[in-house]
Amino acid sequence: MQFREAALARSIISFDRRTALKGLAGALLAGISMSPALAQDAPVTGGTLIYLEQQAHTNLYPPAGGFYPNGGVLNQITDKLTYQNPQTLEIEPWLAESWEVNDTATEYTFKLRPGVTFSDGTPLDAKVVALNYDTFGLGNKELKYPVSEVINNYERSEVIDELTVKFYFKAPSPGFLQGTSVIGSGIVSASTLAQPYDALGDATKIIGTGAFVVESETLGKELNLKARTDYNWAPAKFEHQGRPYLDAIKYIITPEDSVRIGALLAGQADVIRQIQAYDEPQVIDAGYSIYAPSTRGINDAISFRPANPLVADLKVRQALLHATNRQEIVDTLFSSNYPLATSILSSQAAGYVDLSSKLVYDQEKAKALFAEAGWTPGTDGILEKDGQKLDLTVYVSLPQPQNEAVLQLLAQQWAQVGVKLNVLAGDAGSRTLDLLDPIKTPVNVTMVGRADPDVIKSGYHPKNRDWLLQKGGSSDKTDFVDDKLNGLLEALAAETDRTKRLAIAADIQNYVVDQVYTIPFFEEPQAFATAPYVQGLEFEAVGRPSFYNVWLEAH
Amino acid sequence: MTRYIASRIGQALFVLWVAFTVAFLLLQALPGDAVLIKFQSPDLGLSPEQIADLREAYGVDSPLWQQYLQALGNFLTGQFGYSVVGSVPVAQELLANLPATARLAGAGFVVAAILAFALAFLATLAPFRWLRGAIQSIPALFVSVPVFWLGIMLIQIFSFRLKWISVINPGEIEGLILPVLTLAIPISAPLAQILMRNIDEASTQGYVAVARAKGASPSWVLWKHIAKNALLPTLTIAGILFGELLAGAVITETVFGLNGIGGLTERSVRFQDTSVIQAIVVFSAAAFVTVNLIIDLLYPVFDPRLRKAKGVFA
Repeated sequence: MQFREAALARSIISFDRRTALKGLAGALLAGISMSPALAQDAPVTGGTLIYLEQQAHTNLYPPAGGFYPNGGVLNQITDKLTYQNPQTLEIEPWLAESWEVNDTATEYTFKLRPGVTFSDGTPLDAKVVALNYDTFGLGNKELKYPVSEVINNYERSEVIDELTVKFYFKAPSPGFLQGTSVIGSGIVSASTLAQPYDALGDATKIIGTGAFVVESETLGKELNLKARTDYNWAPAKFEHQGRPYLDAIKYIITPEDSVRIGALLAGQADVIRQIQAYDEPQVIDAGYSIYAPSTRGINDAISFRPANPLVADLKVRQALLHATNRQEIVDTLFSSNYPLATSILSSQAAGYVDLSSKLVYDQEKAKALFAEAGWTPGTDGILEKDGQKLDLTVYVSLPQPQNEAVLQLLAQQWAQVGVKLNVLAGDAGSRTLDLLDPIKTPVNVTMVGRADPDVIKSGYHPKNRDWLLQKGGSSDKTDFVDDKLNGLLEALAAETDRTKRLAIAADIQNYVVDQVYTIPFFEEPQAFATAPYVQGLEFEAVGRPSFYNVWLEAH
Repeated sequence: MTRYIASRIGQALFVLWVAFTVAFLLLQALPGDAVLIKFQSPDLGLSPEQIADLREAYGVDSPLWQQYLQALGNFLTGQFGYSVVGSVPVAQELLANLPATARLAGAGFVVAAILAFALAFLATLAPFRWLRGAIQSIPALFVSVPVFWLGIMLIQIFSFRLKWISVINPGEIEGLILPVLTLAIPISAPLAQILMRNIDEASTQGYVAVARAKGASPSWVLWKHIAKNALLPTLTIAGILFGELLAGAVITETVFGLNGIGGLTERSVRFQDTSVIQAIVVFSAAAFVTVNLIIDLLYPVFDPRLRKAKGVFA
């Protein structure tokens, strides 16, 4: 076991060092220039990468890229106007060579890189970029396109000249520049956007400017991408330019965990997505690598719906926070790739503040707080007040790693102070409906990845994901509203001064933790495993893989 | 004969309509709907107004009878609509998955039948009583093996340990070997059991004793006299097992990462993807009805008594 842990630590250190080197050098080849052991290895062009994905992609409309399997495909076949450096989180040029923003962040002008073409041969020009953002920003009711979550207050576009496009916003939208770099903002051709939304689950219909092109697909089984040999517009600061090293990528849907890992170790696959913490040691022992890039947004957590009288009292929520042994959850179920959360935001997110001193486990304090709030243990040990039992319900969230185990452990911890937590799986329909009713679900699992402070608004604002179920939001069964929080969220989305913006982000984190609207567990990574000969695997700022720099060592 | 077949086809169409209607009603009775599940999903992060707009665009809140008539009308004119989850036309999704399932289920059925016959014959012909007893208990073992476990074990042993067969990116035939075995083994069990029991029963009949008395060898008796008579009830069971074959395919497809109707059904039910489920229900019902019709028509081939009774096949 000790050996295993040592091996685990080693692999993570080597991964960290590599990423750090990449950051330092700004080089995007796997740390080759500075590491003597790897210095002789020049990237090799050619080969097909076999990538095992847990689930089939669904709709490949770029704003639907939040679903990991979709993002994993879109990141190869589409490019964005800008590139967010995953190390510095700075916004760098990509399809846009340069840009200008007015003082109030209501007008953005982008100058496009010349010579870029879509894989169907049509040129990337201001007109098609304008069409993309008009669709992302406003939706298209006729073709049923929903709007993109990352674009707030969009008004219209204007084509200035062939390679210059300008976007206007109804209100300040300082998060927009970062929004042009995210997975949901991949630029697609006009022919793609002429399809009805309901037809975009067919990958062959998605025409982008990316380094790879969809060659063929068997729905629900496999997807074949081939390299674009004329690709010559990688993000400007990349060391590697020109065509990707790989000739092709074969995505194979392999839902069963043990089959993905077994196939990787048996040499039948090169990269696999989604590997659970408990499977990491066997991969590392075999000399393979684990990559666990952070999703850099709001941590894996539970949030309360204060419209439910059981959790309306701040003292009750504080007591539940102190009854939660977060360290035990991380230690029992996860590995060092899942760091303990120290705020609602990931420690790798812009605007993060360390609030670990507020997020302490203290069972005695929890009991005292329950007593203060008037909750006393009943005959069955469950807390009671006015004949009402402290009996809460939460639904398991399937995309979150080992979420059922996390919630079961939490239920055990809360049971020690007399709180009953029912953990439900449920069918998708009941789950979706119950989650809109605070009485049925006083607690909900929450998490969202995006490397911009706007992500906090995405999570909490009633007009976005509405995690607290506020009045005027997604539920008609709530009368809870927190004007202070909403004011802060709106100020965050509108503040154009970066320092002030980050200060507001810090205020919100403090406020949410003080109000115990959310109990964060850990910083959620996306976990991948690769064979030892796979070099140069990288991730965009929220953990979607990029295969542009990947090459296969002789093996 | 023509009248018989016509009435059977009429029955089949009625069954299909009932299947369509019952599926429609059951799906409507479930809480929520596909559009809600899809667009309320946090992956899209849509606002309540945007979700309301989309619900209107999809017409999911119109009266039930209106939705039913529209669905039925579309179906009759061959428009299966779009899969909400997969975001492709339902017809395209079926085309991608039906052949794969047909291959898997077809091969699985043939292998199951071969296994069942082999077991039943061995159980009768094997030289020692203890050996016959052992073979007779194999179906009980086969039927109790969980399909997912069997699949994973076969993969672990033959693909990952022995490296004989590739599960990832295999050749056309190579890719079928393990899934077909996984599917065939549990299906073969009830077939073998029925066959064994019928062979036992038929063996006690007078004509068998006569044949033996005439000096026929045990295998001759089994093949010429017993098997023919034991086959009929087995055929009936085979028709019913076809449904089980589709159910077993769900797990097999998941374990082996195959596309197919099984996996598609599971996904569509989970997300209440109505248009896909309706198409699958009708297609499965059609397949089920057809298989059972063929089996009915086969009875007289195997049993001359039925031939005389109907008189039309002579």
